[in-house]
Amino acid sequence: MSLEALSLNIQQGNLQDNVGWIFQAIWLLAFIIIWIYGQRIQTILMLKEIEGSLYRLKAMRDRGRQIAISTIREIGKPSEDPTPRVDRLLEHVDIEPVGLDPTGIIRRLEHIISVREFKLKDEVRRMAPQADEVQLNNLTNVLEVALALNQIYKVVRHYYLMGKKTLSFYIILQIQMLLPLIMKESEAFVNALRAFTLGQPIGDGVGALVAARLMYGREKRLIAHDTVVSEVDIDGRKAYVIKAKGPGGNVGKPGEAIKQILEEKEGRVALIIIVDAAQKLEGERSGEVVEGVGAAIGGPGVDKYKVEEVAAKYNVPLSAILIKEDVDDVISTMRKEIIDGVEEAINRIKRLIHENTKEGDTVIIAGVGNTIGIAQ
Amino acid sequence: MVMIMEGEKETRRTPILLTVVILAMLIMSLIALFIAIRSSLTRRTIEIEADIVNIILSVSALSLSVYLLLQMRRRTMALGLDKTRVVTVIKCASCGYGSTREFEKGDYVLREVGQCPRCNGTLLIHSIFRESKQEGKKEKF
Repeated sequence: MSLEALSLNIQQGNLQDNVGWIFQAIWLLAFIIIWIYGQRIQTILMLKEIEGSLYRLKAMRDRGRQIAISTIREIGKPSEDPTPRVDRLLEHVDIEPVGLDPTGIIRRLEHIISVREFKLKDEVRRMAPQADEVQLNNLTNVLEVALALNQIYKVVRHYYLMGKKTLSFYIILQIQMLLPLIMKESEAFVNALRAFTLGQPIGDGVGALVAARLMYGREKRLIAHDTVVSEVDIDGRKAYVIKAKGPGGNVGKPGEAIKQILEEKEGRVALIIIVDAAQKLEGERSGEVVEGVGAAIGGPGVDKYKVEEVAAKYNVPLSAILIKEDVDDVISTMRKEIIDGVEEAINRIKRLIHENTKEGDTVIIAGVGNTIGIAQ
Repeated sequence: MVMIMEGEKETRRTPILLTVVILAMLIMSLIALFIAIRSSLTRRTIEIEADIVNIILSVSALSLSVYLLLQMRRRTMALGLDKTRVVTVIKCASCGYGSTREFEKGDYVLREVGQCPRCNGTLLIHSIFRESKQEGKKEKF
């Protein structure tokens, strides 16, 4: 249609037809643009979404750093500014042992973990000379959280910048898909900062709380690094109750402790019960107690390996009692529902002992988890 | 483009592009409303239906833009810091007498905090927990 004809049509009053034609052209153009540039538009929108989350992650990272510095200043009364040392620690990296030759990898991993723990605590001790042992452990936990927030921020930023640089849909898609989980975890870490700063019990410590209730009022002795054991009489059976030494924030060495008791008793143990917090699935109730078999010990796997090895060596049955909780609750201040699960877990322990052992037998009960805010 | 204002308690993030778009929408809806009202006052009754539709559309756009602006003002960037109450439960180891108070710095489970007013036994911190926000919410499955 020529311009002259178009103007004639308008003059003749065929305006309605022409408007329809213009709208069709616009639709066609939009269709072509979406067809050709659809993925790119989607990529840009995803990048915007990641950018928004990245701003929040950065704010969380800064908050973590700021809390770590102010807590060290408040508790440790350092003579010099701890900021450069904290900044250096936040960039700390752990290098996993080589997996090409898996022989002895657990021993090597344990060594690296021990060196890391020692180094971190030593750094905190230098920064906070006035802090006592409990405060030292809590400060180490605060720094660990700040370090985790920094690492998360840096990884997300890496994928964001890489995606922006390459405009690769699949690089951006990977991080965008994981973003809700990453944000949930980061928010849990931010909440953990308060718990660790104030020394409040966290959800992960529910196993330690069960053990603490069982061993209260009994004599305790140190059995492994930062780990205590107590002999308790339950229903005519001798129970060795193990937990990390509290109330400072640490997880102790439950694997080493169980191994030592089994070696001491030359395997004459009727049952090992491990109590730990377990991540609940969506729809499950927080504080729900479930039973199972196996070594219920989280973390890098060193303690779990030791328990499995020694239990298999002496053919001792392994029972697990798990208290379910959300991923947010694991490192946040303990919730009422989880506390309610403690009594239920103790009842289950007693029932398991009653049903699976006889009077005079020896059992081991290990309460696994971070014992911050829980003494014994 | 984004502006970050970091405060002591919360961080606010204001997207400038979105603000500009919403402000433009607000101005356009005001102009459209003005034109629709003016034409309805000058026209004859036969065209009044079209004017009413125009006024309704302009008022809707105006309300939407005002709502978006208010939402943006309220939108702060939550850092996940829950402001929940943390409670310390104290119980007597002998008679079971119990009391509850706010968490205080230095509290830990099994810490001895004095003597029982009922039996002179030892008062211990029995538990420390935070009060949950989402109680009574029942899932379908």
